[in-house]
Formats: sequence, structure tokens, C-alpha cells
Amino acid sequence: MSPGGAADAADGGASGAAGGDAGDAPERVVAVPCEGADVLALFDLATGDALGEVPVGSHPVHATTCRGRTFVATMGERSVTAVDPDGEVTRVDTGVLGPSHFASANGELYVSCSAGDVIAAIDPVELTLIDRIGVGAEPHELAVGPDERRLYSGSRRDGVVDVVSTAAHEWVGAVDAGPEARVQGVALASDGHRGYAVDQDGGRVVAFAPDAVGNADARGAASDETNTQEGAVLGEAPVGGDPYDLVVSADRVFVPGRADGTVHEFSPDLTLEAVHEGFSRPVDLFKTNGRWWVLDAEAARLRSLDGAVVDTSAPGLVAAPVGGGRFVVSHYDDDRVSLVDVAEGTVWTADAPAYPFGAVVV
Amino acid sequence: MAREPTETDGDDGSGDATRRGLLRAAAGATVAGAASTAGCLSVSTPAGVAAEYEVTGNVAHFVGPGWLAENRDDVVVLDARNAERFREGRIYGARRVPFDAITSRRHADDGAVPDADAVAAAFGSVGVAPDDDVLVCGASVGSRVTRTAFALAAIGHRGEIKVLNGGLDGWNGRLGTGSGRDVSAAEYEADPAPSTWVTREWLVERIGSFNDGGPGLVDVRVPEAYLAAAGSAVLNDDHERHGHLPGAIDVHWVGNVSGRRMTDPGRLVQLYEGEAGLDRSGTVVVYGDDNVDPTSTWLTLRAIGFEDVRVYDGGFREWANADDRGRHPVETATNVVVETEGSVGGDDSSGDFSCTG
Repeated sequence: MSPGGAADAADGGASGAAGGDAGDAPERVVAVPCEGADVLALFDLATGDALGEVPVGSHPVHATTCRGRTFVATMGERSVTAVDPDGEVTRVDTGVLGPSHFASANGELYVSCSAGDVIAAIDPVELTLIDRIGVGAEPHELAVGPDERRLYSGSRRDGVVDVVSTAAHEWVGAVDAGPEARVQGVALASDGHRGYAVDQDGGRVVAFAPDAVGNADARGAASDETNTQEGAVLGEAPVGGDPYDLVVSADRVFVPGRADGTVHEFSPDLTLEAVHEGFSRPVDLFKTNGRWWVLDAEAARLRSLDGAVVDTSAPGLVAAPVGGGRFVVSHYDDDRVSLVDVAEGTVWTADAPAYPFGAVVV
Repeated sequence: MAREPTETDGDDGSGDATRRGLLRAAAGATVAGAASTAGCLSVSTPAGVAAEYEVTGNVAHFVGPGWLAENRDDVVVLDARNAERFREGRIYGARRVPFDAITSRRHADDGAVPDADAVAAAFGSVGVAPDDDVLVCGASVGSRVTRTAFALAAIGHRGEIKVLNGGLDGWNGRLGTGSGRDVSAAEYEADPAPSTWVTREWLVERIGSFNDGGPGLVDVRVPEAYLAAAGSAVLNDDHERHGHLPGAIDVHWVGNVSGRRMTDPGRLVQLYEGEAGLDRSGTVVVYGDDNVDPTSTWLTLRAIGFEDVRVYDGGFREWANADDRGRHPVETATNVVVETEGSVGGDDSSGDFSCTG
């Protein structure tokens, strides 16, 4: 449930480093993909006033910005949608169903095609498909190393983290997350020396060494076993039930357990530091004003790990930090969007088209 | 245009005309029982059964027993079943299809295609010439029968290509047994018809457009294979990946068959146009794991009036095992499965459809 790895956006979200709040800019627009209405809904960040809707295709879920354009991942299409500054809407074919999560590297945009087994590389200027890179089936979250040389993709069906060379657009190897694993969240530490993957089915988090993968030739020249680096796994730890996403900061790894209302807190080597309880269905965490705040999909509030509470108008499934201790919260089941200030509470709430999801602030 | 069969099936040939007259009458009237003679099983099927397999309406390729009775002297009958079933009993004068040979592929840079020369040689070896009108029969109208029809089309066969609705069960004419005598080989120079197939590269160039403004694409396999159902026994261990080509819809080929006959044509139109949403005036590509089963859908769609139907002869096996996976993506989620209720009749050990042939 990350905000989609907004390439130009402000704060780090679920897959990025913590903190780093950027200041609000005037006349900023919140762009919210609304999965049930096939539109990108626009709101004035300052006031919550509805500014319009852009038809973007079937089942939009995440948005990001890159090279001055807003891109929307439309899971029901074999394409993503780009919106120009002048309002022109363009479809960029991926060829494969289920564009889901974005990442950017070396000026190119990558999107996981979650109904297939490829990552699509897109030229965000020319609005063309550059390449498709074969990865494990049903890729989901993406993470990019700090030097942008490699992209990491979690496979929900094959239970691996695939490693892709962004320069060559080639699969270079995979980290085996374990038998029967279903990899959802993937994130790297800010220094790129450790990677982490959430195994949803196994209820565990796996730490891996990103640089240990990819010395073999490209797939096809060697067996899967050769290129799947079991030795790259550094450790693992159990987490709360039905984990999905994770958040990695400089000194902590957090994994919400959606089924049992916990957040497991680890040191980078996956030593358990704490288990935070009492949430209903925690889905994401954000650091602002010195606190870690937990987004809860079944409780109308943000609650910090140290017990502070900010009430919201409805439970939130996805949130996008906008700086200054504020978040745009998508209330997926209630068809609403809110701007929430952790110090002042809800600033505004607006009705949204059906099933608002991963917003981006432009 | 057909030549006289050279085998005798142990029958002395006397009384053929009389017998044919009786059998023609039987195809549309009442016949009582069988009058066996040594080595010739003769009439064994009530006319009611034969009538059940007659084909009416605007349906191409499929013909009933009555048609065969009327035209027996004018067509070469090819039996697509395996050798054992062929020996046990067949339409008199039928020649057994060298089945493995007619599934031969040639591997080119752009993917596997029918090996037209090998296929033509196989037909020639059983005395089929390019201008012969051919009727293919089996235990039913399964995919061994349809593969035979496709193989003829793929080598540019100039004669008519028919298949016998109901298979051998519907034929109440003269039967033969035993291995049969060798037939004289015929010269058969292939005139390949690439409009009947597509290659892997042809598909690569159209990724993203199938069933969405581009050609229709039908996966004929069982839904569990199409869906890559985890743990399913139908998943082929020879495949490096499971799932289906992007955009393909799944219509299991068995829906084309109802017992030993083709499914009611009205139901087939509803299935493929109404439920699957295919355009009969556009190009439709069919594929399966191999190059046998999809030919059932290939022939069925042609029979109900689809104008441009092609087989991906390399099949999902070739696609799933391709080296460059990014160019050959496979989808596993968010699928379209059109449910079918067909069944394939006949002795399933006869090798008449490709699950068993």
C-alpha cells in the first residue's frame, strides 16, 4: 500500500527512507486514483475543493510524477496513463495486464505488471515502452538501489525478489525468499546495503544482501538455481499475521501485521526490538514531527507508536505525506479523501469517486 | 477426386453396389441389424444413430454419415485413430493417418511452424494427392481428426476437406478390419499455406492488442492450465512458466464436442461470438500446449463461419520456454474463462483426441 514510489514527490513513503518532510508549496494539487470510478480525482491541497476528474482507464490504483507528468497505474489495462501539464491524456502500452507499482531510475519509469511476469520500462518523455523485463510471476512492489543501477521486484507467485539491471534492462538474478513465499513488500535501506522482503503467506520478513545477486549470466544462459541466490538471504523473522508492506528507515524495519493488529519493529539485522499492539488493521507507517504514525484500515485514526492519537473521518487505506506533518489519507471504503495534520487533526475531508487509492501530490 | 482404395479388407468385393444401395437407404431410413460376411462387419448401426449425426444448416467441413454414403466413391477416407483401433474396425477402404508425422514442426527463427514438407510426405505415403477430396474420421470429432484436417490445410491441400460428424459410430456403411494392405504412395508437393498459422514472432509483435482491438486470441486448454492454478496436476512440468499469453481468453476446446459429434452450431455461435466476444470477420488465433488440441477450435470456428482462423503451432510450450521472457510475457491473473460444457465421446483409449489424442 505504498504511495507508489512517487519519483518527484515529497516525503518517503512505505518503501522509502523515513522523515525528510518537505515544506508545503502553494497551489498544490492532490491527484487520487479512484479504483472504482476509473478516474484520477483532483483536489486543492489547501482547501480540499474538488478540481475535476481525469478519465484514466480501468482500475487506477497508484499515481506518481516523473518528468513533469503524472502517471497512473491502471491495473485493469495493459497500459499506464500519462497526464501532461497541459491536460493531454496519453496511454502508454505495457502489453501486459495489471500495471501496479511505479519506480524510477536513470530517468526512466518502471512499472510492475502484476497480472503477468514482467516489469515495463517506460520513457517518461517520449511516452513509449522502452522494454519489458521478465521477472517472477505477479510482480508487485518495486524498490531501487540508491545508485539506481538495480531495481528489485517482489514476486507474489514465485516467492522471489527479482533483481534487474536498469542499465541493461535485464534480469540478473533473484533472491529466493523461501518455499511457498508470497512476496509483497520490498524495500531497501537508504544506503542500499540491505534489502527486505515481506512474505505474506509465511508471515515473515526476510533480509537479503542486494549485492550478492547477479553474478551469473542472464536467465536462459543458466538455470534458475544458478541465478537464484539463496546465499543472499541474511536472515528472517516472524511478523504479525497477513503482513503486506514494510517500512525501512536508517535504523529500523517496521512490518505491520494486518490480521492481528500489530507492528513489529526490528533493528536492521532483524533483531526484534518491539511488538506494538492495539491496532485494528495497520497498513502503513510514516515518520513526521519525530514520531512514527500508523495508518489503520479499520480504525478512524492515526496512532503513533508511542500512543498519540489523531482522529480521522474514516479508516484510511493509503496515505501520502505532503510535508509539515500532514498526510493526504485515502478512505478507500468510504469514498472520501482527507488532509490530516498530526498536530491539528483533520484539516479537510472531501467526497471522492469510488475507492480512492494511492494519491500523489503534484 | 479420389482413387480407388487398394486394400480389400478381406472382402471379395462382390455385391458392392447392392450393398451401397442398401447403406445409402439406411442413412436415411430404417435398417435392421447387421448381416455379416466373413471379414466384413458390414451394417451394424441403426439408421437412427446415423441420422443423429447428420449436419444441417450453414456449417462448413462437418458432414454426416448420409453425405459420406452419397460420396463414398469420390473421397479418400482418412482414419485419424491409432493403429489398434484402426485394425479393429474402420470405414471400408479408409487409410490410417500417420499421425505423428502430420504434427511435425519446423523450427525457424521466428518460431515453430508446421513442417509442410514432412506433412505432405506423410499424406503422400498413404496415397493422398493434393487434389483429392478427403474425409477424415475418428472415434468422434476430437482433435486428432481436426489436426488431420488442419495439416491438410496447412500444406495447401486443393481438394475438399471434410470430417465425419459422429465418427465411426455414425457410419452404418461397410466396414473393414485388419491391417489393410499397403496403398500406393502419391506424389504430394506441399504448397504451404501460412495464412493457417502464426509464429511466435507474429504474436510478439501484437502483444497487448489481443481481444482488445487486435486479433482474437483463444487459449483452448483446460482452465486450470490457463489460470496456472497452483498445485494443479494439469500444469505441464516441461513448461518453465505457467499461465497464458497476454490478453488470451480461455475456451476449453472440449466445448466444441458433444459426445461423438460437434456441439450444436447455434450453441457454438453463442459461445464464441456471444460469450467470448470474438469477431467472425477478424483474425482469430488459437493455441494450446501442443499443436493438436487447438485445431479443434480452428476447425470449429471455420465451420461456423469465422473467416480467418489460425493456429499457433509452437503452442504455449514454445512461448513459456522462450529465452527472452520480457518479449514473451505470460499472464496469470485477472483472467477471462468462458465456461464450456462439452464432452468428447468415443473410446478414449482410441487416440481420437489429444488428451488421449
